[in-house]
Amino acid sequence: MNILVADDDKVVLRSCTRVLEAEGHRVFPAINALKALEILESQSLDLALVDMVMPQYNGTYLIEECRKKWPHLPILVMSGYPTPETISSGIRAGASRFLAKPFTPDELLEAVDKALEGPREEQGDGDETGFGDR
Amino acid sequence: MLITTRVQLTFSFLGISLLVGGLSLVVGTQLINRSVLSEATNRIRQDLNAARETYHNVENRLAVGLRLTALEGHFLESVRSGECSALKDRLGAVAREIGMDFAGLVDPGGRTVCRLGSSVAAPEPVHPAALAALATGETVSGTVILDREIVAAEDRALAERAGIRLIPTPRAAPRPEEEETSGMTISSAEPLYDGSRLIGVVYGGVLLNRSVEIVDRVRETVFQQEMYKGQSIGTATIFFKDLRISTNVRFPEGERAIGTRVSAEVNQKVLVDGERWTDRAFVVHDWYITAYEPIVDIFGERVGILYVGVLEQKYVDIRRNTVLIFTLITAAGMALAILLGYVLGQRFLRPLYRLIDVSRKVSAGDLSPDIGRISRSEIGVLQKTFMEMLSSLRERDRRQRAESEHKLLQSEKQASVGRLAAGVAHEINNPLTGVLTFTHMLLRRKDLNGEVREDLETIAQSTERVRRIVKGLLDFSRQTAIEPEPTDVNALITETVGLVANQALVRGVEIEFDPGDGVPLRTLDKSQFQSVLLNIIINALDATESGGRISIETGIGVSTDRESHRGIDIIISDTGCGIPPEDLDRLFDPFFTTKEVGKGTGLGLSVSLGIVERHGGTIRVQSRVGKGSTFVIWLPSEEEA
Repeated sequence: MNILVADDDKVVLRSCTRVLEAEGHRVFPAINALKALEILESQSLDLALVDMVMPQYNGTYLIEECRKKWPHLPILVMSGYPTPETISSGIRAGASRFLAKPFTPDELLEAVDKALEGPREEQGDGDETGFGDR
Repeated sequence: MLITTRVQLTFSFLGISLLVGGLSLVVGTQLINRSVLSEATNRIRQDLNAARETYHNVENRLAVGLRLTALEGHFLESVRSGECSALKDRLGAVAREIGMDFAGLVDPGGRTVCRLGSSVAAPEPVHPAALAALATGETVSGTVILDREIVAAEDRALAERAGIRLIPTPRAAPRPEEEETSGMTISSAEPLYDGSRLIGVVYGGVLLNRSVEIVDRVRETVFQQEMYKGQSIGTATIFFKDLRISTNVRFPEGERAIGTRVSAEVNQKVLVDGERWTDRAFVVHDWYITAYEPIVDIFGERVGILYVGVLEQKYVDIRRNTVLIFTLITAAGMALAILLGYVLGQRFLRPLYRLIDVSRKVSAGDLSPDIGRISRSEIGVLQKTFMEMLSSLRERDRRQRAESEHKLLQSEKQASVGRLAAGVAHEINNPLTGVLTFTHMLLRRKDLNGEVREDLETIAQSTERVRRIVKGLLDFSRQTAIEPEPTDVNALITETVGLVANQALVRGVEIEFDPGDGVPLRTLDKSQFQSVLLNIIINALDATESGGRISIETGIGVSTDRESHRGIDIIISDTGCGIPPEDLDRLFDPFFTTKEVGKGTGLGLSVSLGIVERHGGTIRVQSRVGKGSTFVIWLPSEEEA
């Protein structure tokens, strides 16, 4: 699977890369939202892991952009500050799941699996409208 | 419109004085009316008696005078000798003495032999009283009607006096003739005896027509010349039949009202029926309180009426004055009532008005107004109570202020702690992710010796502890105030279900929402409350296998702990794995997380509970392992929140 990880914290980027690559995924790290969009443009991706809080363009912006262009792409949001508001805004923007930081490798993989679960089935049906209805 | 107590008081006083005054006016008028009238009526009856006595006195005087004459030897001698001139001398002297208008002598044969007023004594006609005395041999005395021939025979001048022209009088009974020519007299006849032999009858009398003697004497003796407003108050009249022949009732011009007649009504009652009449009556030109009684002649016939009357005006004036006085008293009472109502109202109500002013000040926010002098009446009690109330208001105000200051301080403190915690958490959570990730990655290696593995596990556990502490800190910092707005709960749930619909679809979990009827609008912090719903629904999604179902219902619910406390129930049930009983109790603990990883949003149920509790509600959970869980969010309805 090709997975985008967008986070302004290098440690998080490295942690995610390490865990996901160990599972056999191909990871594309992005240090900010613009970088993430570049990657999204150039690569065919299966999942995006997005941090809610980033400088300049935050996670909400990135998720909304994603939804516009790649409505079928499952998105998993992360936040080190999981308030009701940030969770709601992430889900409203179009993310399918929320993952609170910090997390263990198992929690990350579980969340990624859950997020990937759906689209795979949907692709089989071939008429998935995805999350783009927002 | 505000009707002031003073106005009410004044009106009450006014009403009372009006009632009392009006009642006394009516009763007083009635009483005065009755007593004045009855007094006047009584008096007039007595006056009539006196008038009758006066009338009888004349009779007696004539009778006594003639009897004394009849006993005189000289007189009898003259009768026996038939010397008319000597008789006339004597009769003339007697007539002057006792006031006779005519006199004469009748012989035993019934012929008039001598008449005082006529030089040639025609034998016929004969005076009826003389005939009666001749027939009975006894004294006859009383009222006698003499027709014109007899009067003329007695004295030509008398016949002139007797003739009275009838003056048309309103309300009198109709009478065809235009003039009354007969004379009404008080006559007396005395038989003359020579031993036991009747030798003749001496007679004499007074013509009442145009006479003033009796009526004026009645006025003098009975009414004592009493005058009222230039009019003599008492009047007396002798009627011949219904004709006024002797009277001191006068026309407005001052002339005696001789020739006028009595009303048909009085005529009927007195002359025809023979009864007394006592009532007010209109006499000539004024109202009088009157009494009438019939005059009966020597043959027992009713031939005339004796009348006395007092001017009603005097009594009318008395009555009017009385009414006037009563009216004035009532008016004065009313004026006094108004004054009293005003003054008393002012006096009693001043503290009350003051209190009203003060209470206005209090409601405007001044809790220490000047209440003024404490009244000694009940209003004083009110004032004191009011002051006590004020002091407890001040106390409460002070306490509230202190409390809100304290709260403000607390929330500021809490907010700053929250900000700090949020910053710290955000900063710590990233490196913590690294620590957790790499510790766990290291732990996956198979080539670790026991000691290193133990150390790494200690690092993992300690990091887990840090994670929980940071989470608790975050949960604590999130207890921010709610920002409520009117919200349709059903619409909010529909929206929230829409957010997770796709996820549910891809997981193969069916989500049903059955919005209940009559769920009222409720002010909520929409954002916070939606995250609570999302949290529980996503938890349910995670717990439910493909093919399972999540059903959401809303409805009117009653609080579990407070009976009859109505509110809104939001029931979220799943057919998932359920929660073990030992975890149920700790589900809402701030630091509790299930061992199972990757569940839910990562937002603690404690935060959800905190949000619901800040809306005044509760969350209940029922669960059976393997069957599913049911979360019931209960929110009190607005008015009970």
